[in-house]
Amino acid sequence: MLRGQLRRQGEVTTRATGEGRPQHMVVFSVAGKRLAARTEEIAGVMPWPGAIEVPSETPFVTSLVRQEKGCLPVFDLAAKFERTMREGEFLCLVVKHVDGPLAICIDAEVPSLQMVPRSSMQHQIVDDPDCAGLCVVGGEQLPIINLATLGVSSSRHAG
Amino acid sequence: MGLRRSQAVTLISGEAVRFLVTLIGRSSIALPAQWVRGIVMPTAVGRDGLVTWANVSYEHSDLAGRLKLASHGRSAETRVVLYGHDRQGRSFAVDKVWGLVDVERSLIHPLPAHFRGAERDRLLGFFANHDSVALIANPFWVLDLPNRKQALDVFALRLSEHRPEETDVRLQLPVAMLDAVSIGQVG
Repeated sequence: MLRGQLRRQGEVTTRATGEGRPQHMVVFSVAGKRLAARTEEIAGVMPWPGAIEVPSETPFVTSLVRQEKGCLPVFDLAAKFERTMREGEFLCLVVKHVDGPLAICIDAEVPSLQMVPRSSMQHQIVDDPDCAGLCVVGGEQLPIINLATLGVSSSRHAG
Repeated sequence: MGLRRSQAVTLISGEAVRFLVTLIGRSSIALPAQWVRGIVMPTAVGRDGLVTWANVSYEHSDLAGRLKLASHGRSAETRVVLYGHDRQGRSFAVDKVWGLVDVERSLIHPLPAHFRGAERDRLLGFFANHDSVALIANPFWVLDLPNRKQALDVFALRLSEHRPEETDVRLQLPVAMLDAVSIGQVG
């Protein structure tokens, strides 16, 4: 019982201090559009290996990329934002998605790690299930992308 | 894709599936080879849309269109694959025939769960070769047969030994081998 109380107290303390702690965010860009995402939703970054087309009807999931001995599905974030990736070098952002690892083609500019005060984050004020809200990084307001559930809601709506 | 060369690795410990690997547009499309009944020239397609071969008629279908792939169009490398099971048969054009390959089951991956649309009916999964990826067309969907779970189980071959430079007697095509060891060696 005492242990339970201590655990509950600990949870309350964590929540209370959590409000004051900054959130670690990764800022990256896709076809020139700058976006932010929670660091815990990102597995890594690697050179873009080139996509293999898959004839797919799932919105924005239409290709695979090679990774080691297997392949990862690709979510076309540029297409979601109605943008086109410019010619040149790209990077591959590997995401910890609820359905398994997912790749996103991003601009060659290396993603940066940012500490964002929670007070500067506004949650769920946009009408897009893939967007968690907005945050301010270096004076710039950026959409926060829900990488872990990217495409899940839009696929359900489409289906 | 390098399927025409023979592989140095000869021993297979587990199950494999033999595929006919073709090219449609920019995509490598693999079909379980057990239901391939023949490969003919496009001129074999009659005006009535049928291909008759060994006294069996195959209705011609547009596999590229059904898969939502843009074919390169007819060329010197275009072939018509005769595909059938029991009394159900279809013929369809492919832009190129790469060849036959035996693929270890462990190297065959299902389509990732992120793909949620009708492509799940059309494609069973994929396997990666050294330099490319082949998408596996669902043979039941190709023939308009009722779909079934674990569809590739029907085609699994248990092989204890694979002879180098083996040739498939039925299709008269050399068979390459894709196994974990060869991927590791060359990849």
